[in-house]
Amino acid sequence: MAKKTYDLLFKLLLIGDSGVGKTCILFRFSDDAFTTTFISTIGIDFKIKTVELRGKKIKLQIWDTAGQERFHTITTSYYRGAMGIMLVYDITNEKSFENIVKWLRNIDEHANEDVEKMILGNKCDMTDKRIVSKDRGEMIAREHSIRFMETSAKANINIERAFSELAEAILDKTAGKEPGDPIDRVMVDRRQQSNTTKSCCN
Amino acid sequence: MLAVHRDVLNIVQAKFLSAEVVRSIHLNVSAIDGRRCDENRILALVEYNNSFALFILISSKIKPLSISDLSIETVIPIDEYFSCDTEPIEGSQFHIIFIITYKKIVRAFKIEIGLESSNFASEVIRSKEVSLYNKPIFVWLDKYIGTMSEPSHTSDLGQTDTPIIRQHIAQGPSGINRDSMLKYQLKLKEPEFTQKQEFSIFVGTWNVNGQPPSISLRPWLSCDENPPDLYAVGFQEIDLSKEAFLFNDTPREAEWYKYVMEGVHPKAKYKLVGLARLVGMQLVVMVNSQHYPYVKNISVDTIGTGLLGKMGNKGGVGVRMELHNTSLCFVNSHLAAHVDEYERRNQDYKDINARMNFKRTPQAIKDHEQVYWLGDLNYRITDLTTTQVKTLLNRHELPTLLRADQLNQQKERGNVLLDYEEGDIKFQPTYKYDLNTDTFDTSEKARPPAWTDRILWRGKGVYQVAYRSHMDLRLSDHKPVSALFKSEISVVDPSKYRRVHEELLKKMDKYENEYLPQVTVDQTEVVFELVKFRERQTREITIANTGMVPAEFEFIKKLDENSYCKDWLRIIPYCGSINPGEKCDVKLEVCLETDLTKIYDILVLHLKGGKDMFIIINGDCQKSSFTTSISTLCRISVPIMQVTDEQWRLALKDVSESSVLYSVPRELWLIIDHLYRHGLKTRDLFESSALHEEIIRIRDWLDFGSLDPLPGNVQAVAETLLLFLSFTKDPVIPYDVHDACIAAASNFQNCRQIVLQKVSDLHRNVFLYICMFLQEILKYSNDNGYDAKTLASLFGDILLRDQIRNSKPQASRGKSNFVYNFLVNDMSSSIMPHK
Repeated sequence: MAKKTYDLLFKLLLIGDSGVGKTCILFRFSDDAFTTTFISTIGIDFKIKTVELRGKKIKLQIWDTAGQERFHTITTSYYRGAMGIMLVYDITNEKSFENIVKWLRNIDEHANEDVEKMILGNKCDMTDKRIVSKDRGEMIAREHSIRFMETSAKANINIERAFSELAEAILDKTAGKEPGDPIDRVMVDRRQQSNTTKSCCN
Repeated sequence: MLAVHRDVLNIVQAKFLSAEVVRSIHLNVSAIDGRRCDENRILALVEYNNSFALFILISSKIKPLSISDLSIETVIPIDEYFSCDTEPIEGSQFHIIFIITYKKIVRAFKIEIGLESSNFASEVIRSKEVSLYNKPIFVWLDKYIGTMSEPSHTSDLGQTDTPIIRQHIAQGPSGINRDSMLKYQLKLKEPEFTQKQEFSIFVGTWNVNGQPPSISLRPWLSCDENPPDLYAVGFQEIDLSKEAFLFNDTPREAEWYKYVMEGVHPKAKYKLVGLARLVGMQLVVMVNSQHYPYVKNISVDTIGTGLLGKMGNKGGVGVRMELHNTSLCFVNSHLAAHVDEYERRNQDYKDINARMNFKRTPQAIKDHEQVYWLGDLNYRITDLTTTQVKTLLNRHELPTLLRADQLNQQKERGNVLLDYEEGDIKFQPTYKYDLNTDTFDTSEKARPPAWTDRILWRGKGVYQVAYRSHMDLRLSDHKPVSALFKSEISVVDPSKYRRVHEELLKKMDKYENEYLPQVTVDQTEVVFELVKFRERQTREITIANTGMVPAEFEFIKKLDENSYCKDWLRIIPYCGSINPGEKCDVKLEVCLETDLTKIYDILVLHLKGGKDMFIIINGDCQKSSFTTSISTLCRISVPIMQVTDEQWRLALKDVSESSVLYSVPRELWLIIDHLYRHGLKTRDLFESSALHEEIIRIRDWLDFGSLDPLPGNVQAVAETLLLFLSFTKDPVIPYDVHDACIAAASNFQNCRQIVLQKVSDLHRNVFLYICMFLQEILKYSNDNGYDAKTLASLFGDILLRDQIRNSKPQASRGKSNFVYNFLVNDMSSSIMPHK
């Protein structure tokens, strides 16, 4: 009998305003490549990538959604199957950051109740054009008790980490319930560590 | 719980998330429902948040040592559709059948009766009760569905029967089979992550002539100084009784096994890998227990080639396994007897090869990397008398004798054991001795001595260190033989394996992404020119398959909508399949029959197993009197296209009676007036079908206004009347009184009451106005051929038109009878002239 190529299948979703870099983030993660030409995603596309976390092979199926406002009612209907959602804004675009609240409301209305969320402030390599400070990103994330990270698909900053943290969060979203579990304790340590070292693109 | 169980439970638990608690497990379960019955299965009852599911796991090792030994075969949610039952097995006191039913899925397992099974069954039954009280949610099973090992089961569960929703999330690749691909690629790269390690393998064979064991086997099995890593010990003729032959059941199996376990090398501990027995043939394979964790995919098979070509008095038994990364197969055979029967022996060998099937990959003997063939092959020495043989033996002329050995001769001719090697024979023939002596057969038959008992091998990296007989064991008329091998086994270097494996996973992810269906659409926004009432417009979009696999596309409906497009649009074709590199034109056709000011929709073009694309449909619509309400039309004095925005806004609000300008719409009056003047005598006035262009001209004449006379012939105008009445925003007789009209149809007074009391002034005017016109037509029935019944049935379905279009008109007869009343009775006094 062939050994299975993966143990778990996680479905993740990328959402956020048009042009914040959702497709680039996915492209960087799946193909380790970046392109500067902007082609607006008109629909829902996905790629797969297998990662290994704590001895488990996890196949991630990552769905990239159209960000344009006119597609919102349709794209929300794809939220339900997702186990994790990455909400992306552009640190050089104030509006995309303000809309985070709207996107979060969308998630509340349409996604599974226990979906794992993460906010990403993308394009953090563009320091001279930055409009949204990292503090503001952290603040809104804290307010809603959501993970936060600044990323750059172009400079390949935090992309891999963002996905593995989200996948890990799904893997052990119930960690708190079993403080005795040694594996979970390791996880908690890891996360604390990553919080303190989160200074790569200030 | 047994200690063994605790270990396995922890491993099974590791397969799940920590909040998904494995409540109970059952080991050593074998499926008896036509599936792979040789596999080790484990049943696991798992709970998450008060919802339970039964997982059927396949374990590649007898006792799983890590989660990678386990794969999920089937996931069954425990809800109202789940049930389980047990059934006795006839003639068995130790096993029962455990049956699980879920909707159309039925699985049956053989399990041992005992504490484990009764505990497990009661846990399952309890969980079913719990699930009946709660409303269990099974979303948590989603992530396991995609990992199930048999795709057929996925469809069992996923498509029709499970409560599991996988909305819009495709299951991924259709192009490649990841499992077999990975396995193949890993095999190719094996040298990169393995190293050869030498293992000592002891192979022994002994025909015990039906004697029960009574002497220690140590002189045979433990004759070497160091303990071997692996033992393969074969016996023939352990039981010559009729019972053994007929029922394949013998107490000797356990006895000889016990003696083997006592006879193995004292400097090491051994664990049984596999035991295969058929009648008198028995093969025991054991490993030094330190290697046991690295043994996997064990399987056994037995083949009878005896009486009738299939009985078990002759034949072969095999055990296969993987030790680290090398596949090993051991075959113990007892081939046909008698000096002259060498061809029969060749045939037995071939049959065993052809028929032995381990039901795992690799399945056949020949496909294993190393094969060890042992047994009483029964080949004799030909063309020499007993005396000659004994004389040559006394003179130690073994080479002469070995040249006369049938096995050597047949092998040389390619008739048997073709690719196999055998070490040099330096021992005396092992057959036939007087019992309890070292003396060759002194009986009357005085059979010539022969090397019937042999050990051969094939495969790379196998080196024989010793090949010998053991004269001291005098129990049988045969002497036992043994061979010691140093064999190279591929041992995985975990860190190298990890690297190669990771690389391969990356490569396969890449393949998988590349093999997703891909198409492009030449336009994602389709804009129609000004859309006019019943004037068809088409646009074409081209879908091009830019991917590597055929793309099956389909326009799918959005959530909360009941069709994949709005009723003003047609998509032809709305689904199809496009081969790589090819294109498909899709026609989008708009036909407007309502009062929309704009058409707008987003179509969802779905690729099976792939992405969804959005296509926006956009266009402005032109106003038309045909789709406007009667009350609005009565409030405008000029053709609809000449109305100012302000006038239009006021006309749409039908609030005040005072704003009504006409008792019937201007357009209706123009049409009827025309027909009254030109069409009363026309035969089949309403039956002929006009040119589409004529209707469009009449529409524009009415909507834009013109000084020219009404275009089109009288039949076209008559058809326009029917169209006009069919598409006004609201029907002439309002929907909510249709039932009353139909009920009252047989009584004119009742019909009259309805029209006078339940129908608004404007609608009543229009209704009576049309009826009066139809009465005029009836005055000329000799010319036009119409009678009241025909007109009533023609106009009944229109004046009382159904809310849902395109379906067969409802209650046509009742509507027709209702209208009939007004064609044969005078109601003209009830029309309210405009003040």
